[in-house]
Amino acid sequence: LGPERPERPQVVSHVQQALSYTVFDCKWVPRSARLLCLGSAARGTGVVQLYELHGARLELLREIEKPKPIKCGTFGATSLQQRYLATGDFDGNLNIWNLEAPEIPVYSVKGHKEIINSIDGVGGLGIGEGAPEIVTGSRDGTVKVWDPRQNDTPVANMEPVQGESKRDCWTVAFGNAYNQEERVVCAGYDNGDIKLFDLRTMSLRWETNIKNGVCSVEFDRKDINMNKLVATSLEGKFHVFDMRTQHPTKGFAFVSEKAQKSTIWQVRHLPQNRDIFMTSGGSGSLHLWKYEYPAQRSKKDLEGSKMGVAGSLSLLQNVTLSTQPISSLDWSPDKMGLCVCGAYDQTVRVLIVTKLNKI
Amino acid sequence: MPLWLREHSWRQTLTAVYLSLPLRGARATPANIFCSEQYLKVSIPPFLFEAVLYAPIDDTNSTAKIGNGNIFFTLYKKEPAMWDSLTLANADKEKLQYLRENAVLKAQEKAKEETEAKKITKQEHKKYALEATMKLEEAERKRIEDLKEKERQKVAKELELWKNQQKDGDKCKSIQAKEELHQEIEPLKERKNEKRNKTRIPNEGGSKTRPKSTRGCSCSIFSQDLKEEQLPAPRAAATIKVNFTPRVFPTALRESRVAEEEEWLHKQAEARRIINSDLSELEDLKEEEKNPEWLKDKGNKMFAMGDYLGAVNAYNLAVRLNNKLPLLYLNRAACHLKLRNLHKAIEDSSKALELLTPPVPDNENARVKAHVRRGTAFCQLELYTEGLQDYEAALKIDPKNKIIEKDAEKIRHLIQGTMPSS
Repeated sequence: LGPERPERPQVVSHVQQALSYTVFDCKWVPRSARLLCLGSAARGTGVVQLYELHGARLELLREIEKPKPIKCGTFGATSLQQRYLATGDFDGNLNIWNLEAPEIPVYSVKGHKEIINSIDGVGGLGIGEGAPEIVTGSRDGTVKVWDPRQNDTPVANMEPVQGESKRDCWTVAFGNAYNQEERVVCAGYDNGDIKLFDLRTMSLRWETNIKNGVCSVEFDRKDINMNKLVATSLEGKFHVFDMRTQHPTKGFAFVSEKAQKSTIWQVRHLPQNRDIFMTSGGSGSLHLWKYEYPAQRSKKDLEGSKMGVAGSLSLLQNVTLSTQPISSLDWSPDKMGLCVCGAYDQTVRVLIVTKLNKI
Repeated sequence: MPLWLREHSWRQTLTAVYLSLPLRGARATPANIFCSEQYLKVSIPPFLFEAVLYAPIDDTNSTAKIGNGNIFFTLYKKEPAMWDSLTLANADKEKLQYLRENAVLKAQEKAKEETEAKKITKQEHKKYALEATMKLEEAERKRIEDLKEKERQKVAKELELWKNQQKDGDKCKSIQAKEELHQEIEPLKERKNEKRNKTRIPNEGGSKTRPKSTRGCSCSIFSQDLKEEQLPAPRAAATIKVNFTPRVFPTALRESRVAEEEEWLHKQAEARRIINSDLSELEDLKEEEKNPEWLKDKGNKMFAMGDYLGAVNAYNLAVRLNNKLPLLYLNRAACHLKLRNLHKAIEDSSKALELLTPPVPDNENARVKAHVRRGTAFCQLELYTEGLQDYEAALKIDPKNKIIEKDAEKIRHLIQGTMPSS
C-alpha cells in the first residue's frame, strides 16, 4: 500500500504559524477550537500564547508573559467549567493559572529544585473518577504528585534513596484511574529506567530499564484499568507494554519498534481510539501507528503464572514536516484527527489526519 | 588471379535493365555485391564479375535477387533510353580505374550519410519517448496533488462546520445557564442560609436543591460545594523511595565510552585479585595485615595523624603484596612529599599514572592528584618546567580547579622570573 493510496489516513498540514520564541509544549483548550503554546522567549522569560483556529489561520487571542520559561503544561486536572492550566517551569515551580485572570496563579508551589521536565493531570475534564491530581517530574530526580486543594506539600513524593545519585526524570504519566482509589504514575528517566508507582498502596509496582533515556511515556487511556503503555526513547526506539497481565518476575510483555533514526520525542494516543497513536521524532517527522492485539492476550508460563502476550504494530502513515525535532504533540479531544504539534524551528502546526474513523 | 564471370545474359526495357549472372556453384550473399551509379561488381572469391555500366542507374532502387545459383539484377535506369550494350565498350584501363574508385567513394559516402540519418532518427525517437514518460509522470503527480488538495479542502470545511457548532452550542448553553442562575439564585440563597442555621440536614435535602446549572458551562458556588463533597479528600502524604539501575559509570548508554571503561574495570578487578604470595616473610603476619586494602586504610590513617614514616611502611608492605593498585603508589607519593623524599615522590606518582590507564572519568580524581603531586615534587627540586607540565596536565583533566590554576600561574611567574637571570 503506497502512502498515496486513498484508503490510508493522510496527514494534512492545515495551518502553520511562525513564533518568535521557542515552543516547548502545545495543548488544545478542551471543548474549543483554541490552542495554547508554552515556551521560552529569547530574553529568558516564559510565554503563554492562546490562539484560535479561524479557517486557514491561527488568530492570536492573548499573550501572557511570565518571569520564568515554561516547559510543560496540562489541562488534565481541571474541571470543564474552569479549564485552568497547570504549568511547570524551568525553575521547578508548579503553577495553576486561570487564563481569564493570569496575573496571579490560582495555585503555586516551588515543587522542585530544578526544571520540571514533564507534567500530567488526572481527575479533571469530566474524565475518570477520583480527586484531581497533578504529577510533575523534574531533573532533580524526583516525581511528585500534587492535589490543588493542598498547598505546599505534595501528596506523594517519589525520590531517590538517600545517597543514591539522582537521574533526571524526563517524563511522567498517570494511568489506571478507573475508580476513586486507584491511580498509578509512570515515570521515565534519562538512564532508561521506567518505574510504575501505585498511589493506592504507595509503593513501587514495577520497574524496568530500556537502556536508552526515556523521552515520553503515555498510557493509552488514563481512566481505565491500565491497558497499554507506550514508552519512547533515544535512538529511535519505542516500546509498547501490555499492562493487563503482570508476571511476577518478567513484568509486562512488550513489543518494540525502531522507527526513526533519531530520538522519538513524544507519543500521543488518539483520544477517540486508544489503539492508534502518533510518535514525533527528532528528524521532524511524525509516524502514525496502529496496535493490533494478539489472539490471546495472556498465556501461562512453565510455572503456571500468567504472563502477557504483546501484539503487533503497523505503520499507518508517516510524514516529515520540519528539519528540527517536533517536541510536542497534542490531539484535540473534540475533533477526531485534529492535532497540533510544536517544533524547535519555532513553528507550531495544526494538522488534520484523515480517515481515522475508517480504521 | 580472380576468375572472371563472363557468362551473363541481359535484356532491357526503356527504363530498366535485367541482368542475369550464373554463379557456377558459388554461394552469394548481399555482402558480395557492390553497386554504385555506374559500376557493378560481384566478388565471390575466387570469382569476380564487374561491369562499368553504359549509363548511370538508380542504385538505391535497383535490386538484386540471389537464388537458384544465379543473381538476378533489376537495374532502373536514371534516364530512360535504350542502351547499346551493358557496359561501356571503349572504356580504357584508366577510365575504368577512375570509375571504380569513384564508385567506391560514392558508396562510402552514401553509407556514411545513411548512418548519420539513422542516428538522427534514433535520437529523435528517444527524445520523444522521454517527453512522453515525463508527461505521464507529471500527470500522475498532478493527480496525487489534486487528491490531497481535495482532502485538505474537505477537511477544512468540516473543521469550520464543527467550530461553528461549538460556538453556537456554547452560546446557547451560556444563555440558558445565566437565565437559570438568575431564577434560582434567590430561593437557593435563602435555603442555604436555612441549612446553615439548622443542624446538618441529610444529603438528600442538599441534592434536591442542587441547581440545574451544573450541566451548563458557567459555575455557581453552590455547585462547587456539592461537587467537592463527592470528591475524595486529598491523599495522605507519603514518600516512595526509588533506586536507579546501578551502573558503575553514572552516564547513560549514549555518553559512555564503553570499551575504555570496560578495560579499566577489568584491570581493576585483576589488580585486586593479584596477591604476591611468594614472600616468605609474610608467614608471621596477621591475616588482616596480608590484605592490601586494609594496609592502605592503615596507611591513610597514619598519614592523617602525621605519622608519615609509618604510612610509608604500610604502603610498602601493601605494594609487596599487590603491586598493581595505583592508589597505593599515589598515597605513598603524598607521604614522600611530606618527607621531602622528592625523587621517590616523583617515582611513585609516575608509577601511579602508569597504572591509571586507560584514562576514564572514573579515575579522573586519582590522575589529577598524581599530576599535582609529581608537579609539586618537580617544583621543589626547582625543575619548574617539568612541574608546570604536570600542573597543566592536571588542569586539562579538571579545568575548574582554582587551586591548581593558581599554582600553575605561580610556577609560570617563577619560570619567567628565573629565565632572564639564568
